[in-house]
Amino acid sequence: MAATAPAAPAESDLDRSGTEDELRAAEPDEDAGNAHGGPAAGAQQQHRLAKLPLSRIKALMKADPDVSLASQESVFIIAKATELFVEMIAKDALVYAQQGKRKTLQRKDLDNAIEAIDEFAFLEG
Amino acid sequence: MAERPEDLNLPNAVITRIIKEALPDGVNVSKEARRAISQAASVFVLYATSCANNFAMKAKRKTLNAGDVMAAMEEMEFERFLQPLCEALEAYKKGQKGKKAASEQKRKDKKKSETDENDKSRDEEEDEHMDEEQDGENEGEEEDVEN
Repeated sequence: MAATAPAAPAESDLDRSGTEDELRAAEPDEDAGNAHGGPAAGAQQQHRLAKLPLSRIKALMKADPDVSLASQESVFIIAKATELFVEMIAKDALVYAQQGKRKTLQRKDLDNAIEAIDEFAFLEG
Repeated sequence: MAERPEDLNLPNAVITRIIKEALPDGVNVSKEARRAISQAASVFVLYATSCANNFAMKAKRKTLNAGDVMAAMEEMEFERFLQPLCEALEAYKKGQKGKKAASEQKRKDKKKSETDENDKSRDEEEDEHMDEEQDGENEGEEEDVEN
């Protein structure tokens, strides 16, 4: 009799798994971990494929009023793209630091890179 | 605590790690530069999201998908990202499949142990789908029960 009690939350997991691909279901992934036993399942979600936390990326995406839902894959790709972006802008800014014979990247190096490189035009102003 | 989109920053430690790994040893980054990069990264997410959302809306979809983000990258003139992103996506999808299968397996195991007394025949049907290895072992033993 007591053994059947855990069956109830397991059934509700079944309902949620249908919406696993949607943005808000990214949270139930961590909740499902709790139902099975510990948040370990949620922590494993990162699995070293994306360095940036998907939850934070998702929160930023939700800030856009036009965005209603985003698949887990899209959140992941944006996280990965942001990582590539950070690498790119750091390397480009380094060029300017080296021109100034410096080994420390400074804010002005970034400003120079942003002004000079077309792809970074969206960062101006 | 009003949260404007610009206030949502990505964790500094992670940003710093990404920067350090991108730059050669011996190069330092000032705190201001780090903060500026972090802010730029947030703006990047917002811009990429908005771009991707345009593609989704054009296709009359309400859910952003991976393809929308890829199209956004091209639009934003970050084609150089496309190939590494495709590769990362493949790896991610494989990882998700494995996890899904693992958690489904757990759920089925739980169900099986509960209904063991009631539905032996139904379990054997499921066995054929899930436990191919077991079938090989049990073939000789369970033949009688199947018949």
